[in-house]
Amino acid sequence: MSDQTLTPRDKQEVTDGEQVRPGRYYVPDVDIFEDADGLWVRADMPGVESDSVHVELHDGMLTVQGEVSLGAYSGLAPVYSEYRVGPFLRRFTLPERARFDADRIVATLVDGVLEVRVPRAEAAKPRRVPVASA
Amino acid sequence: MAHFALDPVQALVRLQTELDRAIGRPLSGFGLAGASVYPAVNLFTDADGYVLRAEVPGIRPDQLGVQVESGQLTLSGERVAPEGKGSYHRRERHFGRFSRTLPLPSDADPERVEAQARNGVLTVRIHKLASAKPRQVAVKPA
Repeated sequence: MSDQTLTPRDKQEVTDGEQVRPGRYYVPDVDIFEDADGLWVRADMPGVESDSVHVELHDGMLTVQGEVSLGAYSGLAPVYSEYRVGPFLRRFTLPERARFDADRIVATLVDGVLEVRVPRAEAAKPRRVPVASA
Repeated sequence: MAHFALDPVQALVRLQTELDRAIGRPLSGFGLAGASVYPAVNLFTDADGYVLRAEVPGIRPDQLGVQVESGQLTLSGERVAPEGKGSYHRRERHFGRFSRTLPLPSDADPERVEAQARNGVLTVRIHKLASAKPRQVAVKPA
């Protein structure tokens, strides 16, 4: 249990580079952390179905993208709005690309949070070197 | 809102344009105020009544509370931080509890409020009182 109170934050529009499609993209909030096995990326993507998420690692660049399902808005007329709706997009350059294994990336989407696991390449895992006594 | 089929790109642009128009719009009857309280909400209408929507990613549906009392709707819950050992490169997501109370519109039926959560989006459907719905009056020949 936490005593912290949540506060809302405005969504930031994606501004780097022009998208092929019209419509605004938004920057998902992310946590990125690293442990001995690799990198974890968690991105808030509310309203995105698991079949419309795109995760790619190419040339050391990790791209996460998710389309929101618009079916939920069919027949509804907005009367009051505090947050914007649109697809999410974010790109990261991974540190030292050779350290990660692009073939073993696993992504899951649970309750609107995309979790991407980028495993460390076997060769890059920390190895304990035995020290022989003289 | 269009009722004919739009392709997804058109539908997205249209929704974004309509939401833009509704941003900061004052609304009599629903008394929404204080966008600085979590969660931010969007309010829609359709023939049945109102649909209130809030983005609550990372919160399991069973950790969300929706309560109706004395003409007020309260959304509450807690976003629990996942456990994990490691060093953070970025930390933008926030965790903690929240509670937000909104007065229901005067034509809402407090007995007929339904809530569901899917993919980190909470949707609360608030039906209108039957007496508040438009009624067709038959015109008889004299």
